[in-house]
Amino acid sequence: MIEVKDLHVVFGRGTPLEKHALRGVDLTIPEGQFVTVIGSNGAGKSTLLGALAGDVIAESGAVAIDGLDVTRWPTPKRAGYVARVFQDPMAGSCAALTIEENMALAAARGARRGLGLALGHHRRDAFRERIAELGLGLENRLHDRMGLLSGGQRQAVSLLMATLAGCKILLLDEHTAALDPGTAEFVLTLTRRIVESKNLTALMVTHSMQQALDYGDRTVMLHEGKIVLDVAGEERAGLDVPHLLALFARQRGGVDISDDSLLIG
Amino acid sequence: MTEIAFFGAVEIGLVYALVALGVFLSFRVLDFPDLTVDGSFPLGAAVAATLIVAGANPWLASLAAVAAGAAAGLVTAVLNVRFRILHLLASILTMIALFSVNLRVMGKPNVAILMQDTVLTPFYGLGLPEHIVRPLFVAVVVLAVVALLARFLASEFGLAMRATGVNARMARAQGVETDTHLYFGIALSNGLVGLAGALFAQTNGFADVTTGIGTIVVGLAAVIVGETVLPLRGMAGALVACVVGSILYRLAVQFALSADAIGLQASDLNLVTAVLVAVALILPRMKMRAASPVAKVAK
Repeated sequence: MIEVKDLHVVFGRGTPLEKHALRGVDLTIPEGQFVTVIGSNGAGKSTLLGALAGDVIAESGAVAIDGLDVTRWPTPKRAGYVARVFQDPMAGSCAALTIEENMALAAARGARRGLGLALGHHRRDAFRERIAELGLGLENRLHDRMGLLSGGQRQAVSLLMATLAGCKILLLDEHTAALDPGTAEFVLTLTRRIVESKNLTALMVTHSMQQALDYGDRTVMLHEGKIVLDVAGEERAGLDVPHLLALFARQRGGVDISDDSLLIG
Repeated sequence: MTEIAFFGAVEIGLVYALVALGVFLSFRVLDFPDLTVDGSFPLGAAVAATLIVAGANPWLASLAAVAAGAAAGLVTAVLNVRFRILHLLASILTMIALFSVNLRVMGKPNVAILMQDTVLTPFYGLGLPEHIVRPLFVAVVVLAVVALLARFLASEFGLAMRATGVNARMARAQGVETDTHLYFGIALSNGLVGLAGALFAQTNGFADVTTGIGTIVVGLAAVIVGETVLPLRGMAGALVACVVGSILYRLAVQFALSADAIGLQASDLNLVTAVLVAVALILPRMKMRAASPVAKVAK
C-alpha cells in the first residue's frame, strides 16, 4: 500500500522562479490498484511521480510504502520498492549496453550488487524466456545493443525490465507519449496485461483523458498541485471524456478548459 | 629500427597499456574525462622508487604506488561528486597539486634506483637478455590486469558501474548508488595508472617528476588507436584493444623517430603524438562517411 500525506513540493524556494509544484497531495493506493493520473502541463503529475520515486524530495508531508516512511530516501535506496518506465525511451535503458545487460541491471534492482557474474547461463535462459513473452522476436537479439531497438521495442523491454525484480509500485511516466499511435496501443495493452497478470500496484501518468479512463481501476486528476478529482468503480465506469471535462470544470468553479487540447485524445 | 629499440618500444607500450586501461575506465566506461593521470603516473613512480631506495620490498612498494594512485583518483572524484566541481577542472586541480606532492614524496625532482632490487631482479638471472625480460614481465602483469578487469566489468558491480557511465538516471532508478561507483571507478583507474608509474620507475631505473606530462594524451591515444585498429565487441575485446593500441602507438612513434628519412628527432615526440591521435580520431569518421554518405547525423 502506498500512502501520500499532505505532500508539499517547492522548487527554487526563495528565488524568482519559485514553483509550488505540489500543494498538499493526499493519496492512498491500496495494494493491486492501477491508478491513472491526468492533468495539464504543470499540474504536478511528474512531480508526484518523482516524489514517489525519490527523484524529488518533498518539503513537507510524507510518503509511505507498506507503512515504511520513505519520504527522505533518495532514489537508489527506494529502488527495491519502486519500478519505473520513463517517458523517453532513451531514458529508461542503457543504449550502449546489450539487451541482456540491461535486463541483468534491472533484475538486480534494489539488491546488493556484488562481484558475481551479472550474466550466467541460467540467467540468459531465463531472460530469453521472458523476452519471448513480448512476441517481438527479441529472444534472438539478446546480444544486440539496446540502442538498436525502436522506441516501441525499448518501451516494451523497459516494461519487462520493470517486472524482473519485485516492486511495491510500478510508476509509468507517460511511457507511450513518445510513440506513434499504433505502437502506443501495443505498449498500453502490454502494460495492462503485465499489471493484471502480476497483480501490480501501478500509477500511470498520461496526457490522454481517454487512456486515463480506458486503463486502470481509478483515475485521479491533478490541477495546480492538488488532486481535484478522484473517481473509481461505477462512477468511473460511467464516465466519458466530455463528462470528465465537465466534472473538472465544475471543480474549478466553472472555468472551461476544453480548449486545453492536451487533455483530450 | 634495431632489435633493442623494438623491444624497448614494446616494453614502454606495455607499461602505458596500464595507463590506457585506466583511461578507458574513466573516459569510456564512466564518461568522466579525468586528467588526474598526469599526476598519478609520476606519483606511482615516485612512491615506488622512494620506498625501494629506502629498502622496502619492491612488491610492497608497487602496491603502495597503486594505493597512492587510487587515493589521488579518489580526491578528484570527491571534488566532482561531493563538491560539484566540473570533472575536468576537478582532475586538473588534483593533477597540479600532485606535482608538489610528488616533489615532497621524493624530496627532490628525481630518484634513481641503481643498486636496489626491483620486482624484475629475480627474473634477470634466468638467462634471457634484460631487454626481453622487461617486456615479458610487464606483459604478464598487463595480461593479469586485463583478465581481472574483464571479470570485474562482467560482474553485477561492474555492470552497475558501466550503467553509471552510460545513463546515471536509469542506474539510480535501478538502485545503483552512482556516487559510490564513480568514487570506486576513478580510484581504480588511477590505481592502475599508479601501477604503470611504479613499473615505469622499475624498468627504467628512475622516477622523475616531469614524466607525467602528457600521460593522458598517450593513454587516450592508445585507447583510440586500439578502438580504430581492433574494433572488438564486448568489454574484454575493448580491453585487449587498449593494450594492442598502446603497443602499436609506441611502435609507430618509435618508427617515426628512428626513420632517418623522415628527419624527426626525440624532441618531436609530442608533435608526433598529437598528429597520431588526430589521425586516429579522423580516420573512423572518414571511414563512416565513405560507407554511408547519407547518414551524416550519426555521431
